[in-house]
Amino acid sequence: MASWIEVGPTSECPVGELKGVTADGSEIVLANFEGTIYAIADECSHEEFPLSDGELEGDEILCIYHGARFDCKTGKNLCIPATRPVKSFPVEVRAGQIYVDVS
Amino acid sequence: MAKAVAGMEGVTSALNPAAVERIGMSEPEWLRERRAHAWDVYERTPMPTIRLEEWRYTNLKKKLDLNSLQLSDAEAMSDDASTWPERLRAAMDEDREASGHIVIIDGHVVHADVDKQLATQGVILESLQEAITNHEELVREHLATDAVPAEEGKFAALNAALWSDGIFLYVPKGVQLELPVRVTRWLSEAGTAYFSRVLIVAEAQSQVSYVDEVLSDDFESQTYTSTAVELIAREGARVQYVAVQRLGRGAFYQSMQRTLAQRDSKLDTLNVALGASVTRVDLNARLLGPGANSDMLGLYFGDDDQHFDFNTSQDHVAEHTSSDLLYKGALDGASRAAFRGIIRVLPGAQGTDAYQTNRNLLLSPESRADSLPNLEIEADDVKCSHGATVGQLDDEAKFYLMSRGLSLIQAERLVVLGFLGEVLAKLPLGGVVDKVTRVIEQKLAQHG
Amino acid sequence: MPQNETIQDLGLDEYKYDFVTETEPVFRAEKGLSEEVVRQISAHKEEPEWMLEYRLKALDVYNSKPMPKWGGDLSSLEAVLDEIYFYVRPQDQMERSWDDVPDEIKNTFEKLGIPEAERKILAGVGAQYESEMVYHSLREEWAAQGVIFDSIEDGLKNHPELFREHFGTIIPMHDNKFAAMNSAVWSGGSFVYIPKGVSLDTPLQAYFRVNQERMGQFERTLIIIDEGAQAHYIEGCTAPVYTTESFHSGVIEIVVKKNARFRYTTIQNWSNNMYNLVTQRSMVHENATMEWLDGNLGSKLTMKYPSCYLIGEGAHGEIMSIAYAGDGQHQDTGGKVVHVAPHTTSSITSKSISKGTGRSTYRGLCKVHKGARHARSNVECDALLINDTSRTDTYPYIEIEENDASVGHEASVSKIGEEQLFYLASRGIAKDEAMAMIVRGFIEPIAKQLPLEYAVELNRLIEMEMEGSVG
Repeated sequence: MASWIEVGPTSECPVGELKGVTADGSEIVLANFEGTIYAIADECSHEEFPLSDGELEGDEILCIYHGARFDCKTGKNLCIPATRPVKSFPVEVRAGQIYVDVS
Repeated sequence: MAKAVAGMEGVTSALNPAAVERIGMSEPEWLRERRAHAWDVYERTPMPTIRLEEWRYTNLKKKLDLNSLQLSDAEAMSDDASTWPERLRAAMDEDREASGHIVIIDGHVVHADVDKQLATQGVILESLQEAITNHEELVREHLATDAVPAEEGKFAALNAALWSDGIFLYVPKGVQLELPVRVTRWLSEAGTAYFSRVLIVAEAQSQVSYVDEVLSDDFESQTYTSTAVELIAREGARVQYVAVQRLGRGAFYQSMQRTLAQRDSKLDTLNVALGASVTRVDLNARLLGPGANSDMLGLYFGDDDQHFDFNTSQDHVAEHTSSDLLYKGALDGASRAAFRGIIRVLPGAQGTDAYQTNRNLLLSPESRADSLPNLEIEADDVKCSHGATVGQLDDEAKFYLMSRGLSLIQAERLVVLGFLGEVLAKLPLGGVVDKVTRVIEQKLAQHG
Repeated sequence: MPQNETIQDLGLDEYKYDFVTETEPVFRAEKGLSEEVVRQISAHKEEPEWMLEYRLKALDVYNSKPMPKWGGDLSSLEAVLDEIYFYVRPQDQMERSWDDVPDEIKNTFEKLGIPEAERKILAGVGAQYESEMVYHSLREEWAAQGVIFDSIEDGLKNHPELFREHFGTIIPMHDNKFAAMNSAVWSGGSFVYIPKGVSLDTPLQAYFRVNQERMGQFERTLIIIDEGAQAHYIEGCTAPVYTTESFHSGVIEIVVKKNARFRYTTIQNWSNNMYNLVTQRSMVHENATMEWLDGNLGSKLTMKYPSCYLIGEGAHGEIMSIAYAGDGQHQDTGGKVVHVAPHTTSSITSKSISKGTGRSTYRGLCKVHKGARHARSNVECDALLINDTSRTDTYPYIEIEENDASVGHEASVSKIGEEQLFYLASRGIAKDEAMAMIVRGFIEPIAKQLPLEYAVELNRLIEMEMEGSVG
């Protein structure tokens, strides 16, 4: 069962930027890669720091705390020190509002 | 309705200066000042995050929602056992033998009794609120001063500002209690924050054992209980403190404990954690006089998604002191335990013997254990060691038992009981061993 | 005094490493760390554009990260950093042969006590003098086998693809403040590649020293051991004593591929005013073995935790660490093992000695990730305290997410027993010598892993240090 939660307008997550949001108790980082918004869990799988403090480089989310990288589309871990992926969430944009499926 | 002060971490519609004032309304001036000061410290202290070493394994952002909590508005129940919850009475019935009892229901002390002969010898066992009136000077000297002052941290400050009631136990010089003092607590209001304190002063050459058990059913929403425990053993005194935590799911149990052991005293603690969703225990043992000794024992058994976090320290301040810590836990389901312990031998504390062991048994593939046994040694004539292990059930022991005709499950249970039993065997207080063993057996019955 | 005779026989004294050689740096960047300095370094090394960008990005990361609040006392470091030169280049070119090496530098080696014969026999010596490799030769048979043992600068120039594939992937610039600093200003260090199946019997050795007052050294080493290959790399360093504080921050990245085996040995004896903050990490693939042998004897403060990421099934990591902290020294060392793949094994053995006001700290991590089934790890730390003003700490982190892991940690702290000393005295052995004997015995399990010449030098150092340690 999909559970779409509204997390804010697209204007708050411009191209090339990250934005940390909370949806139904889950901390999520939104990433706007080339105009498409993706969502993964806002917690680095290395030391649990928020990924939303990091940077979006291409389609990679860089954790600024220790340099781990994740694919913003899938949450896949791309280099150490992270050795595990983070959860990714489906995203939809309706009427300028971002919705994340946290089910 | 007091409005939350913007930007102050942890200041909510329930936890705020107005509440502090309300709680202290009829209290003496010094105590109201202490509460106000504690609140100041609370506001000034940032909320601990996982970036702090001490909170690395408990993410409060996820585990504790202070905004959702209310302070209790329950009226005190009557001192009539027939009106008390069934499970509380059952727990009390399991060990009637005692030097005295206290019953706390939803934050109120509803019953206190103490052996008459002991009372005539000057033993005091009463609610902290009564003690403020009856023994103001003693309480004033020790309450949140030497052991767990507000300055200890965010949560110690919150407790010192908002505690509603607690326990005061005073044992005069040379008086020895044969039987333990038993405290039984019951919590029932979901979504509530409870704050209480325990203050025990054992004068020179006295002896006392104290068992504090807390119970509840499962809660539908998060329920927080915070206890500050202050234990003072004067010269040659012998004190045993036992806390048994059997709360239901949904509870966040926090206990901040400090023991002050003077010359030749023996101040032992046992923390048993079986229930609650989150358990956080901070225990600091201070060995302040030559010959002081503390045994520090811990036992935990987790299942489902239970989370345990023990943060202990052994401070050897005086020379020729000793401490021995043993914390053991078994973790089933997706439960998780973190142990962070430190032995500090201060400069000049020659002749220290200090040991520290943490052992974890992982019973399921989803369980997790983190262990940080630390040493900081600033004297050279010391015997210090620590050890930590994480592993699964000992196959050899299991196979041996199975070869004797036990089933796999029976064998596993026996091995786990044997593993945890080592802790209980070191502090064999009447009633506690049986009770804890029974709860573990119930938990094990759900395993596998 | 017999023990003094012994030391005199060896021709050693306390000032052995306390000498300064006059050199004229050819190029020296301005003091302190700035974008301009970073650009100068990159331009001077004629680097590709991507490396300049990498350095500049790293400078940003460095500036954005706070000073670590754990570990050693870094409170006076910022002032030190403002005063140091982040780049000094003593010569314009790499030397081609031993004959071309300037006499001054030869003299430095002389004073360091590297035997004449050894200098010639030692194949593939990359000796780092000041900020760069100035002397470099590679034994011919190794070259024929395709072994690369270059300066890091030549690695980038001559093997750009292999270099770029691995550089900064094992230790990202964001890893920590000093890894970021190194990523911005790195200079000197080694680039090593051992091809598939090649096994080297003689260790690769890099001697280097810091010789310019207030000069930082930012060595960067990248080592790739291809499948089935075997090698041993030794890095040893000593530095003269200066009055102002000095700084060294290296980054060592190592990849050990399937079935390969590699050992990295460091004997660090920086002078006692050196801040030595080093990041060393290895990625260990399937059935490969990585061993760190880390000896920390010098420096004011060392913070160094060699690590093994065991990412391939059956990978093995081993860390052996010896630390000696004398008066005013703090050795904050240890090791990290991260078990990512199933059936991985590791061990950490640490021996530390604290003397006078010295402080030695073991800091370590043993992590077993979900999915690393049947991991095994064992950690043992022993600390020896010589005086009542000495200090030792042990901070192990054990994080286990798999229930079939078997992980153990043991640590003990002890002092040299009066009984031991008394017994040795009854055998006619003076106290200083007896102390040295006991300390040697204490570190022996690790010292015996060292090549002979290093073990001998270590023993000499211990004898020197134990002199006058008892009243």
